Amino acid sequence: MVFDVFFLQQVINGLSIGCVYALMAIGFTLIFGVLNVVNFAHGEVYTIGAFVGLMVITAMAPPLLAVVPLVLAVGAVSGVGLERIAFRPFRRFTDEASQKSRAMREATLLSSLAVSIMTREIMMHIFGGDMQGIPSGYLLQQPVAIGPIMVASGSLVIFATSAVMLGALQFLLYRTQTGLGIRAVSNNQLGARYVGINTDRTIVTTFAVGSMLGATAGILVGLYDGAISPHMGFAPGVKAFVAMVMGGLSSIPGAVACALLLGVSESIATEFLSSGWKDLITYSLLVITLVFFPQGLFGHGRERA
Amino acid sequence: MRKNAILGAVLGAMLATTAGATVAQAADREIVIGYQAPLSGDRSQYGEMFRNAAQIKLEEFNASGKLAGAKVAITFEDSKDDPKEARNIAHKFLDNTKIVGVIGDFSSTVSMAAGEIYAAEKMPQLSQTASHPDFTKLSPWQFRNITTQAFEGPYNADWIIAAGKKTAAVIYIQNDWGISALDGFVSGFKAKGGKITATEAFNPGNRDFRSILTKVARQKPDVIYLAMFYEEGAAFAQQREQLGIKIPLYGTSSLYSPKLIELGRESVEGLHLATTFTPDNPDPAVQTFVKEYAARFKSEPGMFAAQAYDAVGIMLDAVAKAGPSVTRESLRDALAATTNYPGVTGATSFDPVTREPAKALAKMMVKDGRFQVVTGP
Repeated sequence: MVFDVFFLQQVINGLSIGCVYALMAIGFTLIFGVLNVVNFAHGEVYTIGAFVGLMVITAMAPPLLAVVPLVLAVGAVSGVGLERIAFRPFRRFTDEASQKSRAMREATLLSSLAVSIMTREIMMHIFGGDMQGIPSGYLLQQPVAIGPIMVASGSLVIFATSAVMLGALQFLLYRTQTGLGIRAVSNNQLGARYVGINTDRTIVTTFAVGSMLGATAGILVGLYDGAISPHMGFAPGVKAFVAMVMGGLSSIPGAVACALLLGVSESIATEFLSSGWKDLITYSLLVITLVFFPQGLFGHGRERA
Repeated sequence: MRKNAILGAVLGAMLATTAGATVAQAADREIVIGYQAPLSGDRSQYGEMFRNAAQIKLEEFNASGKLAGAKVAITFEDSKDDPKEARNIAHKFLDNTKIVGVIGDFSSTVSMAAGEIYAAEKMPQLSQTASHPDFTKLSPWQFRNITTQAFEGPYNADWIIAAGKKTAAVIYIQNDWGISALDGFVSGFKAKGGKITATEAFNPGNRDFRSILTKVARQKPDVIYLAMFYEEGAAFAQQREQLGIKIPLYGTSSLYSPKLIELGRESVEGLHLATTFTPDNPDPAVQTFVKEYAARFKSEPGMFAAQAYDAVGIMLDAVAKAGPSVTRESLRDALAATTNYPGVTGATSFDPVTREPAKALAKMMVKDGRFQVVTGP
């Protein structure tokens, strides 16, 4: 009696949580793809998106769709700011040796971690460590029955948003001049610079776009969860990171597919094991992927400096 | 030049404060109590409540004149709900000879990490919330003023059985406290002839309970018993509603907070729990505390604030009993002799052998958007 309607419900539960991971993984992977450096502050951009969204909602009670452009703008600004503070200072050295230097990459990684911790602590001092409730009119928690299966309205919104983001990003990357620039810088930063691409501007654009997606993810997940806190970015950030690595580091569709895979695996595993084992499933999948597919499931095996 | 001026001003200000402090000490003997609690990190909301409540109690005490010839101060340290930090703080507190007793920490895990050091170095420690059965077994230097899960679990189990419900699924947080809550409830429930359909652990920080809910719903227990904190409790209740599951919820007293209702709204209607503190209690001591807390911190105090308020009260009364020249040793003995301390969480006495507090629990449920005392099953 395992494969019944409850089992189907578990798959749907898994897809809902997988979509939350995916929503976060999209912006995360985009930035990694271009700079080849993990942006540890992505979780904080996500949290900022949620808090700014909530502030706007409590202050002005606008329709939900009006909140989105504002959150997008805040995301773009924080992305540009983040790039300026944590990443640009390390790009002063433009010679090939510095660009390929491992120390430089690790320093960048740590500076993003530093900015992430600082941002989180500052938010804690401003908003307090407590969970903040969302006004009930904005919650995305209405139960929606699809036959015998129940989903929350938020799951559908998050699913649709992930699909739109993924589509829009693929369009941006493969159909526009900006996208061509991003792909060129991602492939070979020095080469792109030699052929006259403004790499600084491309990187700033990538940060702005990636952080816009991150901030939107934050507010949507906040409305879906019903509460936000300065720590909300950490747990999905870790899962998004795993999805990114499994997906092959720079493949955005790969990260999305792996995020969904993680969500569904965790959810189905709960049927057979205690759910306390959930994180073990995630990391086992990561290890299995890395052992058997060192380039990730969707990796291109490109050379890494 | 400007830099030097600023530096000078800062140094001057620092000297002035130090001088001020010395003068104050000379006038009056100062006794210091260490308070370790999570003031940052993702459990900081509890630390904030503890600090708020402790400040109120300390001011009341110093103004009351119960301790002639000395003033008591509390020094707070942030343990971040991290056992490593707690051990560092324990060493720091031990090195400070002015500190005669310690309150804290928040979770059992962290309290016990620090407690091992206090036990070895002979420092009295009183936790406002550590309810793991092993905490007071560390040494004669550990005290707590919260009922343990070994007491609360069977109490709730009796309540559920008395309501005619025979099967239960237990959802618990995967830490020391959660496991002790699970053990307490399960043994009590089975002893009364109840049947446990499932026990599901979840990792701290998890906010998605849909897969657990789906699994539990398949087994159709009469009740779901929640051993968790209010953030998780609110999320659990909301997701239960979204999945259209109607099984009644019972929970540990840790869910008792106005925030549970603020976050969970209609979804927590009908949730049952037992607690030592209710702000609706007409007792004048409770009402004074509730009013003072609300006036200062713009929120209603929950059980956690009340626990800290009483822990500080018990500690300060022990200091007063031990007299102005209090030592760690004499403070421990005074604490152990605590009988019928009239707190806002009921009268507290420590058992002379186990040092466990004896307290009364009140049965409550969420009704019409607030916690209400229920009488009968």
